[in-house]
Amino acid sequence: MKRVLLLLGSVLSFGLFVALIPYSSSQLQSSIASAPQPLAVDPVVLRGLQNQYKGLKKQLAQFTPHQHYILVDTARNHLYVKRSQEIVLDAIASTGSGVVLDKPGEGNTQWVFDTPRGEFTVQSKLTHPAWVKPDWAFIEEGLMVPKNPADRVEQGVLGDYALGFGKGYFIHGTLYTRLLGKNVTHGCIRLNDDDLKSVYQLARVGTPIMIF
Amino acid sequence: MLFMPLPIILSVVLLLSTPGWAAEGEAFSDLDMNDPAALQEASRVIEEELKLASRPQTYLLIDLASGAIQIKARGVDLHRLPIAAWTVTELPRLTGAFRLTARPPVIRRKIDPSATTEQEPISLSDMPTEYRLSFNPAMILEVESAAEQGTMGWIRMASKKVWKQLRVWKQHLAGAQSPGEAPTISLTLSSEQAQSLAWSTVNGMPVVIRRPSEP
Repeated sequence: MKRVLLLLGSVLSFGLFVALIPYSSSQLQSSIASAPQPLAVDPVVLRGLQNQYKGLKKQLAQFTPHQHYILVDTARNHLYVKRSQEIVLDAIASTGSGVVLDKPGEGNTQWVFDTPRGEFTVQSKLTHPAWVKPDWAFIEEGLMVPKNPADRVEQGVLGDYALGFGKGYFIHGTLYTRLLGKNVTHGCIRLNDDDLKSVYQLARVGTPIMIF
Repeated sequence: MLFMPLPIILSVVLLLSTPGWAAEGEAFSDLDMNDPAALQEASRVIEEELKLASRPQTYLLIDLASGAIQIKARGVDLHRLPIAAWTVTELPRLTGAFRLTARPPVIRRKIDPSATTEQEPISLSDMPTEYRLSFNPAMILEVESAAEQGTMGWIRMASKKVWKQLRVWKQHLAGAQSPGEAPTISLTLSSEQAQSLAWSTVNGMPVVIRRPSEP
């Protein structure tokens, strides 16, 4: 019995010892034997591989936006306008709060107030935009949804400009500048007046917006 | 005079063959251009990226060779998350693109229209620091946080490492090819980077893995 316990203890101690050796990123585990193996360096083969790599790299570069593009970091609430690797504008933004609101009378369906992630394009550029309040804007305040569409329109809350990127999402201004840098919106991207004006001037319809 | 148009013609040909806006792609800065295996792997990854970059979407490149996760779109590196440490099983099977089946669960707060106070928004700190992501075709990505404080944290980390090591040994004893088991990448990230990755993932997000060419 003692021997068994001793053996078991030894195996576990060894396992613990091996497992606790700090592993670096270059240290592979079991399957390294079948990882891509270095070939004998034949200069012709090597040159062929180098050319193939360079060619593919060039092909990939052709997908890179060649004009300005907008990059939005929703975790840190920053909006950048970039051109190639250069940052043309770095603005503090407000993005989606991530909270949810039940849709009344629609079972378990909800509105999720996230800023969508992915790639979009500027679809519209508006000056002096009016906010046409959606249903959720009334419901979250405990109000009745108006039947008259004119009762949904609110002036002066979106700033001087708005850039639409689909499904009702906009980059626009805000009255609540103290909330910039926080996740407080219903999915739109808010900027201060100066940054909004710069984005409006730099972007055109078709400018890519990459959101992560 | 006869040769005057030649430089102009050459310039035009060059302009047509290499568009001015086609800047050099995001290179693998660590790539050894004299290592054939590394070149092959880098080319394979770019071939996968070419398929993904042709569509309007964000995708992940888990670059085990340079130790970073890149959030990318159109071949552009949008954000980079350093990897503190990693282990992997079934390395040869980590080719092609994998699609995330579900992002990590988030506890979302619900707006109560009758309440007078506003609901607290979700922030990065609400995201998990340890989670497991499943992909299609079968692949598992285990993410854990590097910052485990105190004795209990150390014991927890140690137990996990022992368990992982035992699994690797089991797999090794069973033979390198075990088709039933999904390839697994275990990543150790800082807490913030782990949360940042969880934040940025979306359902169906494609992932490509660049494997190291040598141990």
